Order: sequence, then structure tokens, then C-alpha cells
Amino acid sequence: MGKIQRKFVVPGDLIIRADIRPPPNTYRMGDAIYSLKVGLSEVEGKNIRVIPLAGKYVPRVDDLVIGVVIDLNAFAWIVDINSFFPAYLPASDVFGKRYSPEMIDLSRKFDVGDVILARIATFDRSKDPMLTVSGPKLGRLNSGHLVKISPVKVPRLIGRKGSMSKMIEQATGTRMIIGQNGVVVVTGPPDKIPLAIKSIEMVEREAHLAGLTEDVQNFLSRKLGVKPSTIAPYRGDHE
Amino acid sequence: MSAAERKHEFVDSMRREQMLSELSFGRRLDGRKFDDYRPIEIQIGPIVKADGSALVKIGHTTALVGVKVQVGNPFPDTPDEGILTVNADVLPLASPYEEPGPPDEDTIELSRVVDRGIRESHMLDMESLAIIKGKKVYSVFVDVTVLDVDGNLFDAVSYAAVAALATTKHRKAEVKGEEVSLSEERIQLKPKTIPISITTAKIGEYLIIDPDGTEEAVMDARVTFTYDSKGRLCATQKGGTFGFTPAEILKQVDTARLKAAQNRKILEDAIKVAKKK
Amino acid sequence: MVKLIDKKNLRVDGRKLDELRPIKLQVGVLKNADGSAYIEWGRNKIMVGVYGPKECHPKHMALPDRALLKCRYHMAPFSVDERKPPQPSRREIELSKIIREALSPAIVLEEFPRTAIEIYVEVLQSDGSSRVASITAASAALADAGIPMRDLVAGCAVGKVDGKIIADVSDIEDKEGEVDLPVAYMPNLDLVTLLQSDGALTKQEFEKAFKLALEKCRFVYDIQRNALLEGFMKAKKEVE
Repeated sequence: MGKIQRKFVVPGDLIIRADIRPPPNTYRMGDAIYSLKVGLSEVEGKNIRVIPLAGKYVPRVDDLVIGVVIDLNAFAWIVDINSFFPAYLPASDVFGKRYSPEMIDLSRKFDVGDVILARIATFDRSKDPMLTVSGPKLGRLNSGHLVKISPVKVPRLIGRKGSMSKMIEQATGTRMIIGQNGVVVVTGPPDKIPLAIKSIEMVEREAHLAGLTEDVQNFLSRKLGVKPSTIAPYRGDHE
Repeated sequence: MSAAERKHEFVDSMRREQMLSELSFGRRLDGRKFDDYRPIEIQIGPIVKADGSALVKIGHTTALVGVKVQVGNPFPDTPDEGILTVNADVLPLASPYEEPGPPDEDTIELSRVVDRGIRESHMLDMESLAIIKGKKVYSVFVDVTVLDVDGNLFDAVSYAAVAALATTKHRKAEVKGEEVSLSEERIQLKPKTIPISITTAKIGEYLIIDPDGTEEAVMDARVTFTYDSKGRLCATQKGGTFGFTPAEILKQVDTARLKAAQNRKILEDAIKVAKKK
Repeated sequence: MVKLIDKKNLRVDGRKLDELRPIKLQVGVLKNADGSAYIEWGRNKIMVGVYGPKECHPKHMALPDRALLKCRYHMAPFSVDERKPPQPSRREIELSKIIREALSPAIVLEEFPRTAIEIYVEVLQSDGSSRVASITAASAALADAGIPMRDLVAGCAVGKVDGKIIADVSDIEDKEGEVDLPVAYMPNLDLVTLLQSDGALTKQEFEKAFKLALEKCRFVYDIQRNALLEGFMKAKKEVE
């Protein structure tokens, strides 16, 4: 691995002078690439990326998201997915193409207030995002604690190959379902859930800082009264 | 709350392309050069019931101003000065995009920019408008009615307001003890300077003066510079949702100063002719 | 006539001709807004909250190809010497428009068609040049919200008092002085997005004042940068 240079950037900061296509969160002007966001730039030769430190969830096809049903009509459920448009879950996704409104009352399947795990089926900027719940483990989430974090911190919460989330899960005996849209549902023993949530909050606060894995490790070990080495992060996860 | 609302025609991409192509040859769609004004027509005194009035047309853009001078109380922080109020109204008949109702943000901006051009150039000696210092002053109302919109309201309204003020003959106040009444004798408002505004639009990399309706519909930004008779810059207003480079500003502030001298001559000639009548 | 510059070329508040008042800028100060900033610039105290991108209401105002940018500049009734009634004045309406137009060039509105981005500027205490302070804080708030921007917009007002060109006009200098010239500028793109002036300037005076304004805008830009760095990178390690 070559030397990665990491730098704090603000909108308008020059990232690199190179004849390349601008990656997400950057734009090109002339022969240079500039940042569009407040974030961290990583430059490795001609490979660059900008990790944004803030921003709303922008739906992407196939993303796993956790949403809340906020309304329904004859043909679809309307779901808040913590983005700038509500998403639609068409009745036909659940009941098949030959669904018609007289057949069934949608609220019998998902009602207003239900939390559902879904995937983004379609999204382009001219239409609101469409969801699907056909897939393993998709559908209503019946119990658990719902936590919202900034969507840009989700990769850090998951960690490389799930290392961070698995570390927290194993240490606390809880289970975390993490939506790309920044919504997390935590289930497990009631006495351990607050600890899991505090760990999630810690990751969100310090996502961009070095030494985060160690900090979470030490925090969990302190709270659980065990040695840090028993809170082993997955192998392969370095800062 | 300020929000961008489309208040002008939607210019199709074909016309936009044509315009940019012409601009690259140094021409505008109507054949003008970048620094040319459309024909400026000035009629002084069309509204005899007003103390001063002027109708100005720049191309099809038409503004009518009536000046009324009344007696009023001064503002508490300027007890020895008269009052100047500029209020513009773009009539619904002037444009398909105007609705009846109180002035919107564009019209408010228009009123305030024209007001500043007159006020900051010290066109009127505000202290000479005091009748009884601290108690009674002349209150000058400049009411603007826009009759037809085809770009560059700023300059049309400003020229009409300036021409009307410069030829205003209002009733003289008579003081009897504490009482102030308006006599039948009329006195002239004497302008100390003739402020002239010059508006420039930026389309792509081109700077064009006196944008018409179509040019305003595609422009990225505009800037209005107002100069007094000594050529000093007295007021500036940049508008539009894009920006100017510093080099463009420095260049245009000089170009506009020269145009202001030319347009001032047109206004002064019209005023002279009107005063002879 | 108030004398605004003394024999030592110092101003009423002791500043040198080209000296700015102290500026403090913080981001992320409001819980609910998607982005926020608070600025103290001299005695100006201004809070900015940004919401968006979000659904556009009313729907008929939504634009098919970009976000609708909305901006409200409002002064609290207690913010100025004479109590100001709460309803928007003509000045506030003009400034709402001017501020919106100063920020618009920086934002990649095309990224979020059919949505709205709302900027709320509340002047809690006003002491001259509040519009450039508002723009400076609003840029930081927009960046705080993670809204894509091509550049930050930094503002500063220059002026002329007692015949001399000064930087950063305070309230008394605006009221008693000869010229007020506010500027907002995007330093990386080299674009002026707000430019106004009132008061007489010769050609040389305008050039000198304008160039001074741009120099000071670059200085203000550094303050914005630091505020964002502080706001995002400071480890907020809470004691558990």
C-alpha cells in the first residue's frame, strides 16, 4: 500500500491537479479536482477520494435501509427513509402484480408507525425512491431500539468487513441492523442495549479520528469490567 | 422569505444558442453592440396633476413617474431634513409574470436601488426642504408605475425619477406662526446633480449594457452602477444568482462611467427643453 | 459632525484603518437544523440555520432540474437601538434576496431537483455590516449541513470615513461616514457574488476600496475554514 495522505478539506479546496474524472463529493474545474464538501481527502498517487463528514442520505439502488411507515394510500405505503424525499413501497411488491385495492387493506400488512427493513429498488432524481421488501430478512422489524446516526458515519460503524459492528455486538451480546440511511435498530438483552447505543454514539462522534477502534475497545472493556484484549476487533481492521 | 421565482419568459435552448453565437461575434440578437443602449425616449410633464412627471422608454420598457410634494413631519433622527420616498409598482398589465398585490422582492429591490441612486448622489439638498426646522418639512413622493417590461427596469425607472424630480414645480409652503399651508405660488426643486445609472448584464463571459427582456431571461448576473455629475460612483447593486470576477467589475465600472456621461447629456437636454416651455 | 478618525489615524473603537473587528464563528450549534452557524462579528450576533435538501413546499414552486434556494434575513425586534417591529421591512426583504443571490452561485443546486434548501438568518444584535457577516455564517452553515458547494462565500464591507478608506464598517461608521461598500467573494473561484455601494467614490477610491475588500474577504475565508475544522475535527470525547 502506498502512502495515503489524509487532509481536512472544505468546499473549494484543491485536492489534486490531474486529468481524471471527479469522484463523488468533488468537482472538476480546468485540470484540477476540488472538494464539494467538508470532509477528509485521501490522495494515493492519482487515486483520490473525499470522505464527507456531513450530509443527508442520498438513496442508492440496492442500499439496505430502515424506514418508518408514515402514510399509506390505496397503492403504496409511504416510508420515511431519513432522506430528502419519502420513499414508496408499492403494494404490488408485497401482494404481486395482480394486486388491486379491493383485495386487501394495506394497513393489515404494514401500518403507520411500523419500522421496516427494505432495499432501494429504484431511484433517479426525477422520481421519489421506490422500495422493495422481497428478499431475505426484509420486512417489518418488530422490536428493538431505533437509533439515528449521520449517514456518512455508517461505513465506520460497520467497519472493514463488519469488524466494528461485530466487535460491539459480540462484546454486548446485542444485534445491530444497520441501514445505509443512518438508521440502526438494536436488539438484545435490555441491560446491554444502552451500552451498545453508547458505543454507536461514540463511533458517530469520533468516526473521522484515528484510534477509534481502540477507543471503542477501551470503552467497552471499562464498562464491562473485562480486559480490552477480550474485546477483540476482527483481524484485518487497522486504523 | 426570498426564493427564486421565474419572472420572465422561458428562453428555449435554440434562442440561447443563437444569442451566445452572436455574442461571440460581438453582436446582440437585436444587432446592438455590447455597450449600446436601445433608443431612449423621454417625455417630461405628461401628468399635469403631479408636481413633476416623466415618462421614459428604453426600447419597449416603459416607466412613468409622478412626483408629489406635500408637507409632513420630519423623521426624528433628521429633524432639519425633508423626506424622500421612492415607491415602484410594476403593474400586472406590464408583464404576464406580474400579479396584483403588494410589491414583491424584485420590485422592492428596484425601489430601493433607485432611491439610493438619488439619495446617495445628493441630487436633492434635503436640508433646503425644511420648512420649520424640527417640525415641518417638504415630503417628496416619487411614485413609479411601470407600464411595460422588456428588460432593464433599473435604468428606465431611474431616468424617469430623475427627470421628474429635476422638473418638479411644487406649491410653496407658507408659514403663519405655527401654521403651515400650501400657497398657490410654485417653486422649482433644484437638483444639485443628475445621477445616472448604467446596468450591465453578464451572459457567459460577455458583459452587455442595457439588457432587453430576452437577455435578462438568460443572464447570469447583473450590476447597476450610478454616477453623479462629477463622475463619482454613488451607488452600486449587483443582482442575479451568479457572480462577477474582480476583473470584470473593475473593467465595467469604468465603461459604465463613460456611458453615464453620454446618457446624462440625453437627460439634461430633455430637461432643458422642458424648462423652456 | 462626529469625528470618526483621530490624529493617530485610529477609528472610534481604536481600530486601525484596515483592521477588522474580532470575529468568532462556530458551526453545528443548533440541534434541529441540518446545518447551523453562529457568528459574533464585533457586536453583531447572528444565528443561521439551514434546512435541506428537503421536500419543497409549496409543491408548485419546486424546480424540475434543481433545488429551490430560499432565504430569510430577519432582525429580532431587540437587535437595534430603536425597537424594530417583527414584520419583515422592505430592507429585510431586499437583504433576503441579496443574501440568497450571494450564496446561490456556490451551491450545486442541480444535485437535488425538486427539493428546497432553506436558509434562515436571524440577527440577534446588529452593529454594522450584518449582511456580510450573515453571508459568512450562512456559508459555514451550508457546509455544516453537508450541502455540496463549489466554494465558501466570505464577506466583508469596506467604507470611507473622513475621506479615508476603511475595512469593516461598524454601525456608527455606516451612519456617520461617507461610503459603505459590502462585498461577498468566493476566493477559489475568484467570483464576486455580492457587491453594493452607497456614497460617492472617485475611480481611484473605488479601486482601492474594492481591492481592500477582496483582501479582507480572503482573511474571513480563513476564519470560516478554521471554524469548520474546529467544529468537525475536535474530538468531543465525553466522560462516560
